[in-house]
Formats: sequence, C-alpha cells, structure tokens
Amino acid sequence: MARVAKIRNRIRRLRFDHDEMTQEDLANRAGCTRQTIIALEQGKYVPSIELAFRIAKVFGVTLEEVFQYEESSQ
Amino acid sequence: MAPLQKRALYSLIIGVIFAVALILLFVAKGDVTTFDEDSGFRLIVYALWIGVPLAYLVIMNLTLRKPGQVDERDRLIMEHAPRTQFLSVLFSLMAWVIVLTEAFRDQGQVPVIYLTLIMISTLIIGTIAQSLGILIGYWRGVNNG
Repeated sequence: MARVAKIRNRIRRLRFDHDEMTQEDLANRAGCTRQTIIALEQGKYVPSIELAFRIAKVFGVTLEEVFQYEESSQ
Repeated sequence: MAPLQKRALYSLIIGVIFAVALILLFVAKGDVTTFDEDSGFRLIVYALWIGVPLAYLVIMNLTLRKPGQVDERDRLIMEHAPRTQFLSVLFSLMAWVIVLTEAFRDQGQVPVIYLTLIMISTLIIGTIAQSLGILIGYWRGVNNG
C-alpha cells in the first residue's frame, strides 16, 4: 500500500477570523505575492518552512494551527 | 496573474512573433543561400538575433529586481523552467540533424550557412521554451520538497 501525504491549511479561515484580512494584506505581511496566498488557499502549493512560519506569525498562532500534515494509505 | 507569469507571457508572445517574422523574412528573400550572399540581409538577421534575447533578458531582470514582485513560489517555478528549455532545444537539434541529413545525404556535405541557422534557431527556441516552462509551472503548480 502506498502512503499519500497531504498538507492542508486553514489560511482562509484564519484570514476571516482576523477581521477579514485580505489576501493582499496577508501577502504583504508574510512577504510573498497574493498569487502565492491564492495557490496556498486552493491547496495548489506547499510553502517552505520559512514562509509557513511567517504566515503563522502574522496570525499570531503556532505552525500546527495553520498547517496540518495528513497521511493516508491508498 | 503573477508579475513573473505576465512577463513570461509577454516574452513568449514576443519570441513567437520574432520567430515567425524571421521565417517570413527568409521566405520573402528566397532561400537560405540569400543569407550567405546578401550582407544587408545578414545584418538584419544578426541584429534581430542579438536584439530579441537581449530584450528578453532586460524584461526578466526588470521583473526580478523589483522588490516584492517575485517570491519563493516564483523562484521555484523558474528553477523548474530549464527542463522544458532543455527538452525543446534537444528536440530542435534532433530535427535539424534528421532534416539536414536527409536533405544533403547525396552531396555528402552540409553548407556552412546551416551552422549559423542552427545557432539562431537554438537561441530562439531556448528563449521561447524558458517562457513556456515558466507558464507551464504556473499552470501545473509546484511544491517544496
């Protein structure tokens, strides 16, 4: 059986919890482009550890509260 | 659309227009022997040949130098683009070898002018393929690790 790993995130939820922060605002604060935030929210991009920490820092939460590592067998 | 994606699209359009213009120029002037005999024609082709890749480099550098225009995902996509470039150049060289071998098999030799044409086409294809590689990267997506 092959193991499939996926990294999910709660960025969209966290943005809305933080006064409906815009993607542009989050991108500026985390030091990336708005397109990268869009790709992250759509699950099309897994960020580097550094960017993941920067995003968590913007929301004032731990890394695990933003990103979740999920493993499943196929 | 990301700034780098936009620039890659513009570069691709410029590259394709340049390639088509060059082919049309050769068709209008007759055949490749004109390139060998007409120094004015050669000068135009050389100017285009050097000018377009230079313009491409300027466009890309302007994008990369602006702060906040390119982030880690864009850089990752750029790092993957040479794969498309390598394959495109490889296949174009294979096509040149097959076509020239079949066309000049009887003579036993290929006119020297084709060396220049191979170089020009390789440079154009390399430039176009880099932009294409970047656009494919945005379309398919990339991931760390």
